[in-house]
Amino acid sequence: MDYEIVIGLEVHAELSTESKIYCSCKNEFGFEVNTRCCPICTGMPGTLPTLNEKVIEYAVKMGLALHCDINQICKQDRKNYYYPDLPKAYQISQFDIPLCEKGYVDVLVNGKEKRIGVTRIHIEEDAGKLLHNDNFAGSLVDFNRCGVPLIEIVSEPDMRSAQEAKVYLETIRSILQYLDISDCKMQEGSIRCDVNVSVMPKGSDVFGTRCEMKNINSFSGAVRAIEFEANRQIQILKEGGTITQETRRWDDSKGKSFTLRTKEDAHDYRYFPEPDLLTIVLDDSYINTVREQIPELPNVKISRYLREFGLSQVDASLLVEDPEKAKLFEDTTAKKQCSPKSVCNWILGDISKQMNEKMLPLSEINISAESLSELLALIESGKISNATGKTVFEEMLVSDKMPSIIVKEKGFIQISDEGQLETIVQDVLKNNQKSVEDYHNGKTNALGFLVGQCMKATKGQGNPAKMKEILLKLIG
Amino acid sequence: MKIDVQHLAKLSRLHISEEQVAKFEMQMQEILGMVDNLPELSSEDCLIDPQNPMTCRPDIPQNNYKRDDILKNAPQVQAGCVVVPKVIE
Amino acid sequence: MELYQLTASELAQMLRNKECSSEEITKSVLNRIKETEDRVGSYVTITEETALEQAKVVDARLAAGEALSPLAGIPISVKDNICTKGIRTTCSSKMLSNFEPPYNATVIEKLSAQEAVIIGKLNMDEFAMGSSCETSYFKKTRNPHSLDHVPGGSSGGSAAAVAAGETILSLGSDTGGSIRLPASYCGVIGLKPTYGSVSRYGLVAFASSLDQIGPFARSVEDISMLYSAICGMDPLDATTARREYPDFQKDLSNADLKGLRIGIPKEYFSDGVSTEVKEKVLAAAKLLEENGAVLKEVSLPSTGYALSAYYVISSAEASSNLARFDGVKYGYRTENYSNLIEMYENTRSEGFGDEVKRRILLGTFVLSSGYYDAYYKRAKLLQKQIQQEFADTFEECDLLLTPTGTDTAFKMGEKTDDPLKMYANDICTVTVNIAGLPAISLPCGEDASGLPIGMQLIAPKFAEQILFNVSRKYETLVGGLNKVAVL
Repeated sequence: MDYEIVIGLEVHAELSTESKIYCSCKNEFGFEVNTRCCPICTGMPGTLPTLNEKVIEYAVKMGLALHCDINQICKQDRKNYYYPDLPKAYQISQFDIPLCEKGYVDVLVNGKEKRIGVTRIHIEEDAGKLLHNDNFAGSLVDFNRCGVPLIEIVSEPDMRSAQEAKVYLETIRSILQYLDISDCKMQEGSIRCDVNVSVMPKGSDVFGTRCEMKNINSFSGAVRAIEFEANRQIQILKEGGTITQETRRWDDSKGKSFTLRTKEDAHDYRYFPEPDLLTIVLDDSYINTVREQIPELPNVKISRYLREFGLSQVDASLLVEDPEKAKLFEDTTAKKQCSPKSVCNWILGDISKQMNEKMLPLSEINISAESLSELLALIESGKISNATGKTVFEEMLVSDKMPSIIVKEKGFIQISDEGQLETIVQDVLKNNQKSVEDYHNGKTNALGFLVGQCMKATKGQGNPAKMKEILLKLIG
Repeated sequence: MKIDVQHLAKLSRLHISEEQVAKFEMQMQEILGMVDNLPELSSEDCLIDPQNPMTCRPDIPQNNYKRDDILKNAPQVQAGCVVVPKVIE
Repeated sequence: MELYQLTASELAQMLRNKECSSEEITKSVLNRIKETEDRVGSYVTITEETALEQAKVVDARLAAGEALSPLAGIPISVKDNICTKGIRTTCSSKMLSNFEPPYNATVIEKLSAQEAVIIGKLNMDEFAMGSSCETSYFKKTRNPHSLDHVPGGSSGGSAAAVAAGETILSLGSDTGGSIRLPASYCGVIGLKPTYGSVSRYGLVAFASSLDQIGPFARSVEDISMLYSAICGMDPLDATTARREYPDFQKDLSNADLKGLRIGIPKEYFSDGVSTEVKEKVLAAAKLLEENGAVLKEVSLPSTGYALSAYYVISSAEASSNLARFDGVKYGYRTENYSNLIEMYENTRSEGFGDEVKRRILLGTFVLSSGYYDAYYKRAKLLQKQIQQEFADTFEECDLLLTPTGTDTAFKMGEKTDDPLKMYANDICTVTVNIAGLPAISLPCGEDASGLPIGMQLIAPKFAEQILFNVSRKYETLVGGLNKVAVL
C-alpha cells in the first residue's frame, strides 16, 4: 500500500523588538550570561509583566501578511509547567483567543502554487537556556533569553511532503524578513520549529495518529526529521502495528528521533487567563495603520519581477528569497543604466558566490546599487569586457572605489579601436602560422585559440567580439 | 466526584503524606461542593473585559540591574549562572 | 500621652510646629516595640538603624526650614509580603526566610519619596493565606486587646502593630478580607482600596486579580493620608487604572450625611453573624441615620455563593503564583535531593506550610484538565454576577454598611484544625474583593468581653472619597477612634 504523509508545522520566531515582551530589558542575543535580565524576567516575587506594544504590532503585521483574521479583542493566558529555564514556572502565552487566526500562505512547490492554511498566530515569551558541561555535575541556567518576544505560527496539516514543508518554512522566513520583524537566524535560535507528522493510505481522507517532533534546528533538519518520522510510521503500519500518539525528540546528528513523552504523560498545562494583564483591545484604525506599513510581500514581488523585468520564475524566486538581494536588484535596476537581466545574473552569480564563500549577508558585502549599476553599465556599453568586469568587481570588494575609478586607475578600458586591434591581430597571425594552417585545414577550434591569443596580447582589454570579426576578416 | 490528591500533588511538585491525603481531600470536597451547588449561571464571556482595555508599554529598553542583583538570592551559583541538578532532555 | 499614641496627622502637625522631632517620634515607637513586642509579636524584622537615620534626615530638613511631604518623618510599618530593597521580605514563610529583594515595591518607593520612616516588616499568615495570623512560619501574632486571641489575618501584624502603638501607620494587603478582618479584630481602621487604584508591583502575589495593598491607621484622616500617598497609576502594574485622584483630605471635614443613602444588605446580617456584632453594627447605622443618612434594606442574593467563588479563583491564581518557589532562583532549597524533581518536591514540601499546600492543591485541581469549566469558569461567571448585583444595588444607594467579621476575635488555636470554619470568617469581606470594590472597616464598639467589633462600609469603584467622608463623620460622632491597646 502507498502512504501519504501529512505534515503540520509550528514555527516559533523571536521578534526583533528593542526590549523584551514583558519587561524593559534589552532584547539582544549573545551577551554574557545573566546580564540581560531583571527582577521581572527572572520571576522575582512581587514583579509584574507589562506588555510591549511593539510585540502586538509585529504579530498583527504577520497576521495580516498571512491573511489572518485579527482578534481585536483578545487576552493572554498562563501556561503552567516546571522547568529550570522558566523562572515563573508559567509561560505567558495565548490559549483560546490567539491574536491572529484562520489565515493562509501561498507557496511555490516545483513551480506550482499551493495554499497552506495558517491556524493561528499567538504571542508569548521565550524561556531561558540551560547550559550543560560534561565536566560539571549540574546544569547552569542563563536567564538572558527569558522574556524575548516570540510569535508562534501554527499551520494547518496541509503539507504532503518534506519538500512542501521546507518551502513553507522558507516562505514564512522570507515574509518575516520582509516585514523586518525577526532576525530569522536559525543558528541563533531566533526561528525554530516543531513538526507534526502522520501518515495515511493514499487516497484516504482520514488522518493517521500524529507524532510531534521537537528540537529541530534547521530547515534541512526539518526535512530529515519528517522523512525519518514518516518512514518510521509507514514501517510500523506495514508490519501491522499502530502508531502511538507521542512527542519525539529529533537528534539531527544521529539522524533519528526518540520518544520524549507519550500521550499518557502529556503535560496538563492548566491554562487560565493571565490576571496581571488586562484585555487587549485593538480598534479598526490601529489595524489599518499596521496594514499600511506592510511592504510588498515575496509572492507579489515574484509575480511583478516576471511581469516587469521578464525574469524567469526560478531567478525571480531566488532574488526575492533574500530581501537584501531583492532590494539591491530593484535599486540597481531603478537607475536604468543596465539591463535587469544582467543585474539579476550578477546578484545570483558573482555576488551570491561571494556571500556563500565568506558566509556573509549581502549587507556586509561591499557593493551598492550605485557601484553595481556603474559596473554593469561599463560592461554593457563595451567599455570593459565581461572578464575585466569580474576583475573590477574583485577590486570593488576590497576597496571603496567606484568601478569607473578602478577602471581608470588600472587602465582597464577595453580596446575597441579597429586600427589598434588590427595591428594586434596581424601580429598574432604572424606568430601562430601553425594554427592558421590548422584553421584552413578545417579545424575550426583553432579560431578559438587564436582569439584567446589576441585577448592575451591585449591583456584582456581587447573587445572580444570586434577582435573575432577582424580575425575572421584577416585570416580569409 | 473523586479528587486524586496524589495526582494534584505531583502536578504541583509537592509531597503529601497518606494521612494528609484523606484530610485534604475531604476539605477540598467541602469547598468544591459549594461550587457544585451554584445555581445556573448565564454563560456570557466572563474571561475578558473589553470595557477595561490594557495600555501597553512603549518599546524602550532600560535595565538598571547587575548580574549580582539577580543572582544574590540564588541557593547555588557558578560561572554567573544559577545551578540546578543535571537536566537531561 | 506618649508620642506613639498619637495619629500621623497630629504628629505631622507637631513636627511642623517644632513640638517634637521625627527622631523622638521614631524612638517613642521603637521603645514601645521594646516594651510590648515580646507579648504582641507583630514584627518579623525591625529596621531600627535605618529608621533612625531616616528620622534624622527629616529633622535636618525641618531644621533647614524645608517643606515636608505629608508623611515625612512618620513611622510606618509594612506587611512582610511587600518587597523592600535589601530588607528581607519573607511572606512569613520558611520558603522566603532569607529572601532580600533587589528592588522596592512601588508603594515603598512612594513612601520613600515622602521620606516616611520605615520601622520594620510585619508578621502575617504565610503568603497571606489565613484569617488568624497563625500560619506564619516565624511566630503567632497576638491580639493586643486580649493576648490569648488572634489579631485576625492575614495582615495580623499590620493591625496588631497599629493597635498596640508599635507603629503609627501600616500597610497590609487584602485578598479576601486580610486588611478589614484584622482591623476589625484589633479595633483599628483598615481600608481595602478599589482594585487597580494601588500598584501591586512588589506585592508578592497571592491572587493577582483580588490582591490589593491598603492602609491601617487609628484615624480616618490618617487612612486618607496614607491612601493618597500610595494610590495612582503605575507603569509597572498594567492593572492600575489611568485616572486622576482627588485631594481626599480637602473635603474630609465638611462631609454631610444629609440624604446619603446607606444600603443594609440583609444577607450580611444572617444567622451566621453573632448577635452582639449585629447589634453594634446596626447601632452605628442608626447613629448615621439620626444624623441625616437614609437607611435602605437591600439584597445581594449571590452573597452566599461568594465564598466558593473566592476560594476557587484565589486558589487557582495562587497555585500558579506560588509555582515559582522551586528552590532554583531564590529562597529556600532543600538539602535533600539527587535530581531535579526531588529538588522541586522536597523544596516545596519543606518550604510551604499546610495551609499554603492545601490552597495550591485546590487551585491546581480547579484548573486541571477536565475540571476547568466546572469550577474555575463557573466561579468567574459567578464573579460577574456578583459584580452586576453590586452595580445594580449602587443604583439605589450610595454605599453599603455591613459587619466586617461575623464575630469578634477568636481564641488562638480555636480554628486551626478546621479550615472551613476559618474560611467562614471571610464571608462578609470576600464579595468586596470579588467585585473589586473599595471598603473600609471601622471600630464600632466592643463585645461583652471587651473585644473590638468592626463595621464595613462598601462603596462603588473609586469612590474612596465617600468612604472617607462618612467614616470621618462617624468618627466625629463617636468622639474619635484612636485607641491604643493597654498592654
